[in-house]
Amino acid sequence: MNELDKIPVRQEISVAQGSVKRSNPLANVFDELVRFCQSRSMFMLHYCTGCGAIELPPAMTSRFDMERLGIQPMVTPRQADILLITGYVSVKTLKRIILTYEQMPAPKYVIGICSCTVNGGMYWQSYATAKVLKEYLPVDIYIAGCMPRPEAVISGLRDLMGDIKSGSASNWKRYFQNYDHYLGNQQKLFDEDWQTPTDIIAEAEHYGLITDQTLGEHTALLQKHQQPLEALEFSLGEKREKIRGENQ
Amino acid sequence: MHFLELLVELLLMPILAFVIGLAMVLMMRRIGARIQRRVGPPVLQPIYDIIKLYSKDTQISHGLMHEIGIIMAVGGYIAAETLLPVPGLDGLADKGGAVTLAYMLMIPALGMALGVGQCANPNGSIGISRALTAMLAYDIPFILVIFGASYVYGTTNLAEMISIQQQQGVSSWGIVQMPLLALTALLILPAIMGKHPFEIYVAPAEIATGPMVEMSGKFMGGLFVMQCFQLYTAGVIFTTLFLGGGVYWITFLPKIFLVVAIPMSVAYLFPRYRTEDVLRLMWKWPMLLGLIGLAVVMK
Repeated sequence: MNELDKIPVRQEISVAQGSVKRSNPLANVFDELVRFCQSRSMFMLHYCTGCGAIELPPAMTSRFDMERLGIQPMVTPRQADILLITGYVSVKTLKRIILTYEQMPAPKYVIGICSCTVNGGMYWQSYATAKVLKEYLPVDIYIAGCMPRPEAVISGLRDLMGDIKSGSASNWKRYFQNYDHYLGNQQKLFDEDWQTPTDIIAEAEHYGLITDQTLGEHTALLQKHQQPLEALEFSLGEKREKIRGENQ
Repeated sequence: MHFLELLVELLLMPILAFVIGLAMVLMMRRIGARIQRRVGPPVLQPIYDIIKLYSKDTQISHGLMHEIGIIMAVGGYIAAETLLPVPGLDGLADKGGAVTLAYMLMIPALGMALGVGQCANPNGSIGISRALTAMLAYDIPFILVIFGASYVYGTTNLAEMISIQQQQGVSSWGIVQMPLLALTALLILPAIMGKHPFEIYVAPAEIATGPMVEMSGKFMGGLFVMQCFQLYTAGVIFTTLFLGGGVYWITFLPKIFLVVAIPMSVAYLFPRYRTEDVLRLMWKWPMLLGLIGLAVVMK
């Protein structure tokens, strides 16, 4: 852990967006259509970590009805566009959130609801809570409040819709562009052998989002500790026999 | 010339089916919303969803079979649409017939099974095994219905069935001639469409949407397209067998929308059945009704 502290976590530097203005006017129209559809159809994976989750059912059901804005709940990260984190994030939970986030297909957006995700909120002094969510994941929109009312949640989602429509909601690219920064913060919390099944560096290469901030000392540590994923052993029979043996 | 006409029909039929299917998906979601006292999605929501899914930057493929599976699922329905006669367009209807259609409708489920199998996600495997069991459950009453209808009209040719019903008026419609079989078909309709209360295989909370668990981006888009075809096919089959088909679109469209709307309105009121309960239910009541209906029409 001491070794890890010596490595400075680089400040996240916003890298110029790689949105090339296309010369073909039809292509621009097409891009706009796609962005419009993306903003009007958002599948939402709500990772209900804290008390803010209680404000989502009224936002989704008959009182406020998110579906009229094209927002639907989805249950697997593979189909989700938005990751909604509603409340305080404990260190254990953060691991799952990062696993979930990395499995989501791009373009993906993160929304932090409640003040706990902004600055730790009332869990500021807790030893087990990750205070500032945006140190570990690129957050697109924060909806502050303890807890924000459904109107506030919907207003925040509408802001995100506007950002997607105008093309400025591209924070998901930052995760690839500044991977070393995010990984450094994650390693400080989870220790240096922290790894996820998703190969972020290869994915960044695939999108052409590698910058000089993507690779660094923290990713070197990751590669040092990286073990190939192996299938879990199927050992139900042995276990059962072992238990049987213990019982006898 | 004849060949060209056929080609145009074969192209036009799936496209029409897709457009009408989109409207049906919208109607289904609106009905669900109204029953839950919500406003529901905007008019173009199904199109937004499909364009969004196809335009995702990340397209996670789990291998060749995963891709072929989705193509089979959509392609099976596209092939089925060319066998379904609609006003003005007969396609391959007089060469295929009801039995070929029944076979064709199994291909999408098998394609899904192949694709999901490649994903190697246990939730997906559980989901698809439940989906195939549900198919087994509703297929036997479905075959009874098709057999009964073919017996009454004396042909398995869907286009001929329509012309018989059209020539002899409302009293010769399937729903008057064989009301019990029509009721059987109505009971299994939600299962054919894969909707409440027979949608345990998607089970969002328990097995994270079952077969769709690893489907993202264009694969999910393919399944959305498949859903449009699924609703349309169910509506058109019922209309063809029991409601006299249609000579004009203006009389045909209300019929198929009505057929899809009835099970939708009822279905949202019920909780889901478990897989074994689906099997028990399907092989008890619709099958009993179907057998009695068959006995009645065969005297």
